[in-house]
Amino acid sequence: MLMKLTGGKVYDPAHGIDGEVRDLYIREGRIIAHPHGEAVSVDQEFDCRGKVIMSGAIDMHTHIGGGKVTIARNLLPEDHRNDPVARSGLKRAGAGHSASSTLTTGYRYAEMGYTAGFEPAVLPINARQAHMEMADVPLLDVGGYVMLGSDDFFLRLLSSGVDQEVINDYVAWTVHSSQCIGLKVVNPGGISAFKFNQRSLDLDEQHQYYGVTPRGILQSLTRAVHELGIPHPLHVHGCNLGVPGNIETTLNTISGVEGLPMHLTHIQFHSYGTEGDRKFSSGAAKIAEALNKNPNITVDVGQILFGQTVTASGDSMRQYANHGHAHPNKWVCMDIECDAGCGVVPFKYRDQNFVNALQWCIGLEIFLLAEDPWRIFLTTDHPNGAPFTTYPHLIRLLMDKTFRNDRLASISPDAAALSTLGSIDREYSLYEIAIMTRAGAARLLGLHDRGHLGAGAAADITVYTEQDDKEAMFTRPDYVFKDGELIVRKGEVVKIVWGNLHTVRPEFDRAGIERRLKPYFDRYHTMAMDNFVIRDWEIEDDGRSQILVHPCRGQS
Amino acid sequence: MSALTFTLKGSLDQRLNVSSLNVDHLKDLDIAAIKVMKLPLGNRSIALQDLFSVEGNDPTEIIFRGKTHKLDKIGQGMTSGLIRVEGDAGSYLGMHMKGGEIRVKGSVDAYGACEMKNGLILIEGHAGDFLGAALPGNKKGMAGGMVHVKGNVGARAGDHMRRGLLVIDGDTGDYLGSRMTAGTIAVLGRTGRYLGYAMGRGTLLLATPPQEILPTFQDCGSHTLGFIPLLLKSLKALDTPLLGMSDQLKRVRRYAGDMCGLGKGEILVATN
Repeated sequence: MLMKLTGGKVYDPAHGIDGEVRDLYIREGRIIAHPHGEAVSVDQEFDCRGKVIMSGAIDMHTHIGGGKVTIARNLLPEDHRNDPVARSGLKRAGAGHSASSTLTTGYRYAEMGYTAGFEPAVLPINARQAHMEMADVPLLDVGGYVMLGSDDFFLRLLSSGVDQEVINDYVAWTVHSSQCIGLKVVNPGGISAFKFNQRSLDLDEQHQYYGVTPRGILQSLTRAVHELGIPHPLHVHGCNLGVPGNIETTLNTISGVEGLPMHLTHIQFHSYGTEGDRKFSSGAAKIAEALNKNPNITVDVGQILFGQTVTASGDSMRQYANHGHAHPNKWVCMDIECDAGCGVVPFKYRDQNFVNALQWCIGLEIFLLAEDPWRIFLTTDHPNGAPFTTYPHLIRLLMDKTFRNDRLASISPDAAALSTLGSIDREYSLYEIAIMTRAGAARLLGLHDRGHLGAGAAADITVYTEQDDKEAMFTRPDYVFKDGELIVRKGEVVKIVWGNLHTVRPEFDRAGIERRLKPYFDRYHTMAMDNFVIRDWEIEDDGRSQILVHPCRGQS
Repeated sequence: MSALTFTLKGSLDQRLNVSSLNVDHLKDLDIAAIKVMKLPLGNRSIALQDLFSVEGNDPTEIIFRGKTHKLDKIGQGMTSGLIRVEGDAGSYLGMHMKGGEIRVKGSVDAYGACEMKNGLILIEGHAGDFLGAALPGNKKGMAGGMVHVKGNVGARAGDHMRRGLLVIDGDTGDYLGSRMTAGTIAVLGRTGRYLGYAMGRGTLLLATPPQEILPTFQDCGSHTLGFIPLLLKSLKALDTPLLGMSDQLKRVRRYAGDMCGLGKGEILVATN
């Protein structure tokens, strides 16, 4: 079966194509080169004249699976009650504004032109549940970043001063066992320190039991990821999230990894100064400057947008500190099997609240001051800054200066006065949006066949009607293709398919590390080591998901 | 003008949501339009006239007749008017009600008067669990208005209640007034276990001594309280034996709690 998308304006930054009118051909789920010379018989043609074609969008940081989402759902029945979605057409019923049900999550993503989403906080011990939940999200490719850095085994290794080799093996073993594509660290050491009654842990502060510092943890883990050749750099949720003045910590974190690749996630929450009467100010300019100067650093923004949502994080230390802001007034902080933590705090961002309004400005300033769209990614840290359904609104804020300034005029005037946002003229182009939401994300994660439209790429394609109102444009694509199947037409799901699971499998010394792990599991863990490892059949045997293994550096 | 009467033609297999059948939704509709309104029945929707025969034309007085025990959300959010249910009612009767009156001849299911704001509900039969409570996950229960139940009520009556008055002539289930923020619950019959569990403020007025008082309630001795005659006076529109009990309620024993929490709530027990 040969499909042709005729005459669309193609944005494919991976190949430097910026709005050229081209035809695309799809055969057996892949994009193929122009079949020159052959007797071409196109089975199905889509007229894309006057339309914009991009590859399917990739959300590289979105909390769509795992224990904390389930806790958020349990904590907030009103989130589901107030936002019911009735069964319609092919879609089954669901619910939820900020912590939506798995099916609704998949439908909503697809209807916005997204074809992949990555869960950034997979706890190793909860990985099986996270995968089951992600497998229940239709229409979307998924993957996870597995969380280390506050687990007892790693902290023991680090404090005993073992060779980096051993840590590398442990990281690789964990990535394999949890079927993940990257490694994440959340408040390095801080989640553990919280349980030893430390209520904050700055970059160079010692964990009072293990004696290690967040800086040491970051250096060890960034090195492990680098030496194992995992494409996605260490995914770092830094120290002191949300604390005024944390800009210094963030800048020190950037210099602390000594040039190794590192991804700083939801950087907006880590870019706060202490200037002004209220001791809360924007550090966006300094952060953007550091980002522009350090090519080893990538960031995603974690933009906040106003309204009710829920914050769900592994960072129990900071979530506990913020629980007083819970709206409605209920929250959960818990330990997970002595290996990590979890905090769920519902939150309402208000445009007339000084702090919230300034957070909104800070995120947008970072977007607009960062020079290289290949190293900054469009996220709201769903659902922590806002639900992912706000992405089209966020894109319009970035692409439309008048719209942005109108919004700026409506927020807390004190916050607006402190922000430089009104003086920034930059407007993102469609090409840059395509980099941030597609090509850049795919390159960062090492997804060789996603995020671009060259021959051989998987046919994950989104077709929009170009409109002046970019929010309307990105809310409702004309066509979305997933692996060559038409799944959305005119913003409505027309076919249900199931996405793939993206993973990496770095090489390591399995026997060596399992010699250390086996007795540890036998003595301390709630499950046997063999049961901890998620096997391929657990993911693939239901016939829905397929595991795609992307090569690490040095692997073919 | 005569009362707008909905008579169920048969018995329902599924729950029927009739939240749209009150004066706020119907006042601008003619009878023909009302007959073709869609109502959610189980997981589908169905035209009103397929289930009900409709008589009368005055939406300020609505009557439900027939096997009405599966009608949920009767009078949800209503602001005025009168609804009469001639049999039993389903769950969520008078949920979010802001004004007007509901009279039920039979019994009602769970979550009657939940998160009610104002108005009057009279129930001749019994009421299920969570009368005047908050919906699951919500923090604010009944916030005003008055509910009178002549029969018994289930567990957790007044859970998270914030204001308003529940008068219960019969017995109650366990956890009466749990997590109350404020408001008053008066009970003539027996009460269950865990009375006033985690109560912050508010008043439980009991004509019958309870079987047990939680150890986290403090006995404050007997008192003559000036507000009780005023309370009884405010109930004079109701047909309740409580009105004739001013002598028994002259002196009440006061227990303050729940000391596990804020501890400003009280259980008042008639001493005579």
